[in-house]
Amino acid sequence: MTTGPSGGFPRPVTPPSDGSDRSRRTPGGVAPVPYAEAGPSAGSGTGAVRRGAAAEPTASWEELVSTALVGADRRAVPPESLLERAAEQVVRMRAGRRLSRGAPPAPAAAETLPLVSAAAADRLARMLAGEQSRLLTEWLETAAARRVRVPAEMIPELLDLGAGDRSIRAHLGAVTGARGRWLAGLNSAWAYLLEEPAHVPPGEVWELGTSGDRRAFLAGLRCRDPAAARELLERGWNAETPEDRAAFVTILADGLGMADEPFLEAALDDRRREVRQAAADLLTRLPRSRLARRMTARASRLVTRNGTGIRAEPPEGCDAAMERDGVRARPPAGMRTRGWWLQQVVAHTPLSFWPGHLGMPPDEIARARIGDWEREVRMGWTRAAILQRDTTWARALFVTEQLTDLLAVLPPEERSRRAAELVRSRPVDGQMVMMLGGVPRPWGRHLAKAVLKKIVETTRAQPWNAGELIRLAGERLDPATHEQAGEVPELAATLRFRFEMLKELA
Amino acid sequence: MSGRVATVRRVKKRQDTAAIPGTGRAGTGGTGTGGATSGAGTGGAGTGGATGRAGTGGGGAGERVTARRVQAGQRESRVAAGLSELERWLADQIGQGIAQARQTGPADWDDLARRLVDAQAPGVAGTVTRLSRVLGAEDWPSLLLGEYALLHLLAVAYRRAAALPEPLRQTVRARVGFPVTRESVLATPAVRDHWDVVGCREEEQDRLVARRVWLAGRTTGRPAMVLAFAPVGRPLDPFPAPGTTIDADLAFYPGASPLRALVAERRGAVDAGPPPGTKVSQVPASIAEVLAADPWTDSWPLVLAGAVPCLDGLADEEGNALPLHPSVGVPWRLLAVSGGRPLTVAAEWTPRGLRPLTAWDEEGRVVRL
Repeated sequence: MTTGPSGGFPRPVTPPSDGSDRSRRTPGGVAPVPYAEAGPSAGSGTGAVRRGAAAEPTASWEELVSTALVGADRRAVPPESLLERAAEQVVRMRAGRRLSRGAPPAPAAAETLPLVSAAAADRLARMLAGEQSRLLTEWLETAAARRVRVPAEMIPELLDLGAGDRSIRAHLGAVTGARGRWLAGLNSAWAYLLEEPAHVPPGEVWELGTSGDRRAFLAGLRCRDPAAARELLERGWNAETPEDRAAFVTILADGLGMADEPFLEAALDDRRREVRQAAADLLTRLPRSRLARRMTARASRLVTRNGTGIRAEPPEGCDAAMERDGVRARPPAGMRTRGWWLQQVVAHTPLSFWPGHLGMPPDEIARARIGDWEREVRMGWTRAAILQRDTTWARALFVTEQLTDLLAVLPPEERSRRAAELVRSRPVDGQMVMMLGGVPRPWGRHLAKAVLKKIVETTRAQPWNAGELIRLAGERLDPATHEQAGEVPELAATLRFRFEMLKELA
Repeated sequence: MSGRVATVRRVKKRQDTAAIPGTGRAGTGGTGTGGATSGAGTGGAGTGGATGRAGTGGGGAGERVTARRVQAGQRESRVAAGLSELERWLADQIGQGIAQARQTGPADWDDLARRLVDAQAPGVAGTVTRLSRVLGAEDWPSLLLGEYALLHLLAVAYRRAAALPEPLRQTVRARVGFPVTRESVLATPAVRDHWDVVGCREEEQDRLVARRVWLAGRTTGRPAMVLAFAPVGRPLDPFPAPGTTIDADLAFYPGASPLRALVAERRGAVDAGPPPGTKVSQVPASIAEVLAADPWTDSWPLVLAGAVPCLDGLADEEGNALPLHPSVGVPWRLLAVSGGRPLTVAAEWTPRGLRPLTAWDEEGRVVRL
């Protein structure tokens, strides 16, 4: 690099005249800036400038800026001289900028998971850039299940996505590893990640882990030893945050039994509504629970046999006991208040109660005429079938109303078959796409076949109508079938992309 | 189709007249708008017209040499007139005050830039066009005065070019916008080294994509920047990606702080690992040196070793830090790669702070930022 007089400034930069200024402008502990007087080679042309600069004391930069703002003419300063002094100062400031003090964050913990393969990371980067971005969730889900982590530089973009999309947060908790949690601690927009499990080794997780770690730990323990998990919860219950209490109650769904009943019944007195609601939802799955019995008593008065049909009468009011059992007094917008109470009572009554009470099997009940409050009662049963995961009722109710949530209760093979029947019997419309949207991956054999056929038919007859179904099928069909989708290039391309994506993550 | 042809033709014409306002000073380090000529060069086309350097032609007939001399002489006087008009304009602005610049500036600058293009000073025109960038900043009066002052300095320096040392005179001419031919650069002695490709950035300006590739020489310690242009939508000639090291001869454009270079000969990639870097604490001295030689420098590549990214800067382990450019924001990608530990980072120095380019993580993986 050229330095020294010959390579210097077109005119000498006079050192600042007062000491305090100098200490502000020169770099601390750094060799003096080579602003040596330009030698004679600079020529006489610079003389005038030098005289101009030396004639006046060095004005501070702020003074120069303020004069330039109001106008040099007003302050009787020759504009050229102001520009010259400004040039001198600006170069001096740039060249003399001192180091500031930095506050590096505390280092991140070491990673415990291996990095994904280079090919998988590459594909992830392409997806983040927009290629097949609808498949991102599946990539993350698969990587999380494989217990691998993503390259650090992609974490910020993923965490930004997670800030707007709750559905990927659990996967992000796993695939962003220790670095992800470290970053989440630095940026409040990403703090949600600390609620997600992160595959941390056990040990002191329950005492010291993040909410997510503790939830994952409890879920694991519940799976191995249901009683131990509940007892662990009971020990520190009052010290937990309301959000954690609600999440912990939900975890008890796995391995639920009458042994949990006293704990859940006590949780109905929790200060937080979400906790009470979660406890009530679980108790309805236990027909012998006190809550189930109370609800059954209410339901038996409200819904009765009426000749060949059924008669329903909503409750007169929502008392404190009902509220304690999880009935919410205020209806959602657009619902009749008493009907809302009726629906909730039905939804929280064990389904096993109805055949005996009404003297009909579930499929007859589901078809029966109810009269005035038919809609509310049916909604109650539907909700109950979902909550109690009752396949008999789900099957019965699906006949009259094809709700995707009911399909989800059915075993995969049957789900695939029933959805396939529906696809075969109807033209493609928004409702079908929505119903299919609720059927999770992978779509079984029957459904896959029906959908593929429907797509081929629709692309021939109404190509404008097939797009959404093609996209959905691309996400849900078994990617190994990509060769059978040759008639629909867009679909085949998506399936092939997934096929390769899953191979890379295997 | 015809639209595309028209665009290309327009671009070609601009290259011939070296009048590409967008491609001037920002980031070009040593040479400014010579870019126009090089654009033609990298695109494989000829070097076009105005070279501004009478007497280097050699082979032509005497008549042609004379014609060129006349042409060059005309250009000099046109540039001189344009720059003295610039001097007067600046003095007027400062005389009246720049308080209204946020309202009136952009229109005034467009107008001024057009006149400077007509005066065949495209480098200065480009600088003027980019003045509106400062208006977004809170301290825009300070930034604008700085830019005006450096423009004034350039105009004065051109006026007194005869008295300047040769390298500085070359810097001034390049920043004004006199083109330098590819041939004349390649005719200078080349610098052979193992060059680490430390950064790459593509920017669209004025229907052209400008690609800057920054390099650092392993043995010489010299930085370099190779500039290439292509019309939007056309691919640029491939160049090794950041993280690679090439054995190559680079020919530098003339100037007082030479940075811009051409690859005279590329011998192939070398497997060399992360580039050696300087310490954060050494940066102020080396930047001071660069600016002392070329006060208009507004971009300079740095490779920092042992740098710890912070939310607003790059620190060393003692806590000395270099601030980042305001447009960078929090460097989340860089922070993520570092995990709070020191690493090697290449960055572009600018007067307002650093712009990170590339990082080498613990395992030696290269991450473009």
